Amino acid sequence: MEHFKQKLVDIFEVSNISESDVIKDFDSWDSLTLLSLIAVVDAEYNIQINASLFEEIITIGDLLQYISKNSK
Amino acid sequence: MRLFFKNKKITSVLSILPENVVLFEDEMENYNFSVNQSLKLKSVMGYNKKRVVTDGVTSSDLCILGLEYLFKEGVINKAEIDAIVFVSQSPDYIMPPTSNVIQGKLQLKDDIICLDINQGCAGYIVGLIQSFMLLEQSAINKVVLLNADVLSPKVSKKDRNSNPLIGDGASVTIVEKASDESNIYCSIKMNGVGAFSLHIPAGGAKMPTSEETAILIEDSHGNLRSKNHLVMKGDEVFNFVQAEVPGIINDVLEYSKLHKDEVDYYLFHQPNKFMLSKLADKIGVDRAKMPANIVENFGNASGATIPINITFNIADKIKESSLKVCFSGFGVGLTWGAVIMDLNKNTYIQTINYN
Repeated sequence: MEHFKQKLVDIFEVSNISESDVIKDFDSWDSLTLLSLIAVVDAEYNIQINASLFEEIITIGDLLQYISKNSK
Repeated sequence: MRLFFKNKKITSVLSILPENVVLFEDEMENYNFSVNQSLKLKSVMGYNKKRVVTDGVTSSDLCILGLEYLFKEGVINKAEIDAIVFVSQSPDYIMPPTSNVIQGKLQLKDDIICLDINQGCAGYIVGLIQSFMLLEQSAINKVVLLNADVLSPKVSKKDRNSNPLIGDGASVTIVEKASDESNIYCSIKMNGVGAFSLHIPAGGAKMPTSEETAILIEDSHGNLRSKNHLVMKGDEVFNFVQAEVPGIINDVLEYSKLHKDEVDYYLFHQPNKFMLSKLADKIGVDRAKMPANIVENFGNASGATIPINITFNIADKIKESSLKVCFSGFGVGLTWGAVIMDLNKNTYIQTINYN
C-alpha cells in the first residue's frame, strides 16, 4: 500500500497524501489525472475502475477501501 | 457487412521503418502542459519512442525500398506481381496514383492493376479485403498490398493530442492464391457521419492550402495547429472505438464460429496503450493475446500499424506453428473492421530500416 500511496503522490502532484483527502479537490484533478488513476489501479491491482465510479469514490480512503474489497 | 473468402493467404509481411528515432521527451517542451502533466500523458498512453522520416522522404520511398529488398531476397520477383494496392492518407501526389508511380519506378510489367485507396487506421483491413477481391480473378495470382503513411509532417509539433503518437512507417504484404481450404472471415462497417473526428481540413478541393490555412490557432485545450494539420478529436475517437469495436469483433467471431479463446492473437491497429487495454477488457480477451506495444516503440503509423504489430510481435512465433489471428483496424472514415484468418507456419516476416 505504501508503494501505491507513492504512486498517488506522483499522480496528484502533492507532497503527501492522507485518507481524508477528497480526490476531486486536488488542484491537479482533470481528465488526464483521472485516466492516470484508472491506469495505475489497473497496473498495480488488476482492477478495472470505470470513470463513473468516481461519483461514489470520494476520498483517498474510499479508493483504498474499494481496492482492498475488489482485490483478486 | 460480412465478407467471406477462401483459397487465399498471406505469404509475406515486411515492415519498413524510418531509422530516425524521436523520444517523447525530445518534444515535450512544445506542449502547453507542465512537465508532470506531460509525464502522466506519456505513462497512461504508453508514449516513448517513435520512428519519423527525415525531411523529404515520402510513402513511396519506403515502399520502393521494401519491394527492392523483397526482390533481392528472392521473396517475390517482378513478373509475379499482378496488382499493387497502395493504401495511404499521405500519397506522393494528388495526381497520379502513387501505386502507378511505384510500378513505373520499379519497371514492373504493364499487365497489372495499380490501385490507390485513401484509408487510414483501418487501411490494413480495407487493403486485405481489396486484395482478396482481386484474387477472385483468374488473371491475378499475387497482389502486393502496400500500407504506407508519412503523417509526421502533417501534425503540429504543438499538438499534444496527436504529435506524441504519430509515427511514420510502411509495410509490404504479399497476398496470393492458395490451394489449402482455409477460410477467411471479414466484418466491416463505415459511417461518414463521424468523418470529421479525424481529418486534415486544408489541402483538398474544399479548402486549398493558402497562407491563411498555415496560421497556427490555439484550441480550447491549449494545442496549436493550423488548417493544414491533422486534427484528431480524441474523446470522439475513444468513444467510437469503445462503442463499436467490441461489436465488430463479436460479429466476426460469430461469423467464423470460433470462440474468442480459439484465436491465438488479436493484432489490432495501435492508437495508444490505454485504449487497447480498455478494448481487450471490454471484448474479454487476455491482454497477452492483444499486443499494445507498437506506439511505445514505433509510434502509430496509421494503416501500417497492424503489419508492424505482426512483424514486431509474432515473427518468432510463426516459425513454431501456424496461428489463428484476428486483425482489427478502426478510425478515419469512420471505418471499423476485422478479419479472422490463418497465418501459416513460416510465413516470411521481416523488418527493415529506412535511412
